[in-house]
Amino acid sequence: MAEIRFEKVCKFFDKARIIEDLDLTIQDGKFTVLVGASGCGKTTLLRMIAGIGPATSGHIYMDGKEITDVAPSKRDIAMVFQNYAIYPTMTVRENIEFGLKNKKVPKAEREALIKEYAEIVGLTEYLDRKPGTLSGGQRQRIALARAMVKKPAVFLMDEPLSNLDAKLRVQMRTELIELHNRLKTTFVYVTHDQVEAMSMADVIVLMNKGQIMQEASPEDIYNDPNNVFTAQFIGTPPMNIVDMPDGNKMGFRPEKVKMSDVPVQGCYCHKGEILTREMLGSETLYKIDCGEYTFMVKTDKPDFAMGEKVFIHVANEHLYFFDAEGQRIRKTDGENQYAQLLQNAGGMSNV
Amino acid sequence: MSDLTLQRQAKRKLNGKFIRNQVFSWALVLPAILFLCLFTFYPMGNLVHLSLYRGNITNPYKTFRGIENYLDILVRRPQFMTTLKNTALYVCMYVPICLSLSVIFAVWLQKARKINNFAQTCFFAPHLVATISSAFMWSWIFSPESSGIANGIIKVFGFNTHNWLGSSSTAMVCVMIMNTWASIGHHALIFLSALKSIPGEVYEAAELDSSSAVKTFFKITLPLLSPQIFLMLITMTTNSFKIFESVRQMTGGGPGISTKTVCMFIYDNAFETNNTLGLAGASSIVLTIILMLITLLDFKGLEKKVHYQ
Amino acid sequence: MYQLKRRFVNYLPNLFSDILKLICVVVFVFPFYWMIITSFKTYGEAIQVPPTLWPKNFTFIAYSNIYNMGINFWQYAQNSVIVTAGVIILQCLVMIPAAYSFAKRQFVGKGIAWAIVISALMIPGTCTYVPIYMVMAKAGLIPSLWPQIIPHGCNVFGIFMLRQAFKQVPDELLESARLDSATELQIVCRIMLPMAKAALITICLFSFIGTWNSYFWPLVMTNNDKYRPLTMYIERVQDADVGNKWNQVMAANVLLVGPVLVIYLFASQKIIQAFTYNGVK
Repeated sequence: MAEIRFEKVCKFFDKARIIEDLDLTIQDGKFTVLVGASGCGKTTLLRMIAGIGPATSGHIYMDGKEITDVAPSKRDIAMVFQNYAIYPTMTVRENIEFGLKNKKVPKAEREALIKEYAEIVGLTEYLDRKPGTLSGGQRQRIALARAMVKKPAVFLMDEPLSNLDAKLRVQMRTELIELHNRLKTTFVYVTHDQVEAMSMADVIVLMNKGQIMQEASPEDIYNDPNNVFTAQFIGTPPMNIVDMPDGNKMGFRPEKVKMSDVPVQGCYCHKGEILTREMLGSETLYKIDCGEYTFMVKTDKPDFAMGEKVFIHVANEHLYFFDAEGQRIRKTDGENQYAQLLQNAGGMSNV
Repeated sequence: MSDLTLQRQAKRKLNGKFIRNQVFSWALVLPAILFLCLFTFYPMGNLVHLSLYRGNITNPYKTFRGIENYLDILVRRPQFMTTLKNTALYVCMYVPICLSLSVIFAVWLQKARKINNFAQTCFFAPHLVATISSAFMWSWIFSPESSGIANGIIKVFGFNTHNWLGSSSTAMVCVMIMNTWASIGHHALIFLSALKSIPGEVYEAAELDSSSAVKTFFKITLPLLSPQIFLMLITMTTNSFKIFESVRQMTGGGPGISTKTVCMFIYDNAFETNNTLGLAGASSIVLTIILMLITLLDFKGLEKKVHYQ
Repeated sequence: MYQLKRRFVNYLPNLFSDILKLICVVVFVFPFYWMIITSFKTYGEAIQVPPTLWPKNFTFIAYSNIYNMGINFWQYAQNSVIVTAGVIILQCLVMIPAAYSFAKRQFVGKGIAWAIVISALMIPGTCTYVPIYMVMAKAGLIPSLWPQIIPHGCNVFGIFMLRQAFKQVPDELLESARLDSATELQIVCRIMLPMAKAALITICLFSFIGTWNSYFWPLVMTNNDKYRPLTMYIERVQDADVGNKWNQVMAANVLLVGPVLVIYLFASQKIIQAFTYNGVK
């Protein structure tokens, strides 16, 4: 079992409090993605697992054993850095076997391991080249092979794809997912790209300013966000948020909006004018000016034109409600309260 | 106006302005070049000319001797070769020790901590002080009397006072100690700047690869520093070959001429003894050739080992 | 409480290394300390056995002795100041236009001119001083401060660094300045120099230290105390007495080293920064 548990973990740099009293359990064998904007603390958390950026206070457990002050090399982990951090003066082979040599792995075993993993990442012909002569994608594979060859219980990855071009990024994404399926070890992956998070993760941990906003599967985090921040971070374009007269907030996803020429009863409906139209192929994005608000709508109907007057409406089951602090109000929190909110939503319709 | 006239007018305009610009650009550069010709190239040529004659400062070209001066210093009289040997010994002692210590200090003081900053500042101070001052300071420390602090220290361990600067076994070593003390801070600083350009993640990756501090130093840090080390090697070798002030002040070349260096030989022959200006000239030329050879050899011999990124 | 203990335990491996560092610092700073302390002792105490780490009788007698020696200390100090200032000013006057021209102007024969400048780097100063002395002697300049200033007029290293710094100024700035009818002088003073400030400071700092601390060059180029700089003052103190009066010699040394150390005390970070300037942003 390589479950990782954070208990009341804090990280302060001089006066800056990056993380304060954080609790988190990362499940064994799953592909967990820590996602959030720059400075939210996700890389800090990752480095705490690795041991290269120790926590200021709190405890970290792996497999039930405390690893808070254990040296990085003694933890059963491997890490792939954002800038690969491969040793520039050594050949690819020497890079991969450096860790093995230090752990006094016998030569025959080393050779076998290098051969096996070089083949997996596709670097067999490059084993005796220096990293300076290789491309970014190849250097990334060196970092990957170097990590895999240690056969760790946990793989840590710090934005490994962000320095690659778009096409290579997509390719590597699927390769990493396949790798995870094959090895079935715990993966902890850090990224700021929510698309990457959604596509790769078994569990997403969304962070903001050192706090965990939500920890859930991609489906849950998309369909059932806990707060406004989560609702607006995940999903492109982000959820439309409207202030309600009683201080609460209401939101709906762009792809759940329907557009028509006539007003519709029994749901939230608003009149508006189309400001921009982006035809993306299978779907079209419209920006609609509804007086007080501008809404983004994503639909497969390309036939509306700019400047056209339309009515947008959202069915009740696709409405989300949040309180004044941005926390989600669910139907299960109180039927009457929820019915009242729906009524208020309907009351905000403007045709 | 006809086309031809217009063209001619345009050409004239171009020529006038063009020439003015050229002259101005050259005028900006001319002072520098003039100074160089007067005080670098001309003296060099003059020196070669001098080396072929026998004379002194007031009358440099008394007698023509051709290559006799060169034969004198290289073959016939032993003094020049002795000073050459002394200087070479010094260089072979000083360069490895100072270079290694500088690298070690730089790596030791890498991390950005208050104590490291403080230590760097203290180690760098001797470099700002005049060599002659340092020579006096260390002459006092190495004083042969019991009042010299060096003697004071060894007396604590039960040894007798030692004539540090006056005995041929320790004189050069003391000069070397003084020069190492004076320059370590500066060299370490240069290596420190180079170390800063190594991304911290490489060291973190090494830590995760169970690399000990020693292994990381030899397999990662040192290769990455090799360009600077290489350059420093050349600079230190050529500079230490020219050592003059510190030796002259601390030992005077003694005892006998066991610590006399090449530059001291040149100086004495130019100003102290009579009719030996030609010898000074010849030995200067030989020194220059040696320095050039050293630089060339270093480049050829070591360039393969340097890792460039 | 637990946190304090934890932090201490995590610091422990560094403890030995830090203590060693402090010991090294003490060893390094000791010669300075020893020099200053000796200058405040009487001669008797200075040569006392065993040596005392702090003067039993703290006194200024060494300083007053050398002041009353009849050697004009202020003459030496003045010479140092004039020569150093002179060299820096002369070098700036020569090097700035040259660096500007090499960096930003095109002219016929630029390659040849640059080759001349570079090849000058290969000629060590150890060779040039004898002929220069003879030239100065013939020109009758030896009894003066000129031989210490003029030969250093062209700072090749400075031209190198300044040219590189000037090259980093975008050409568009110069073109728009020229469109605004700026003279070349204005361009250099208002645009190029401010943008190359760091390089210029480094170069001038190097020149200052090199000239203020130079002993060999004035040794060769002077034969009269009237024109000798501070670096040659210490040995005068030594000569004028029979036997080394170490407390006095050290006092003279303090006078030479003191200003530099005081400046360093206040501006150490800036000075170190200037030394680590590597010409590339």
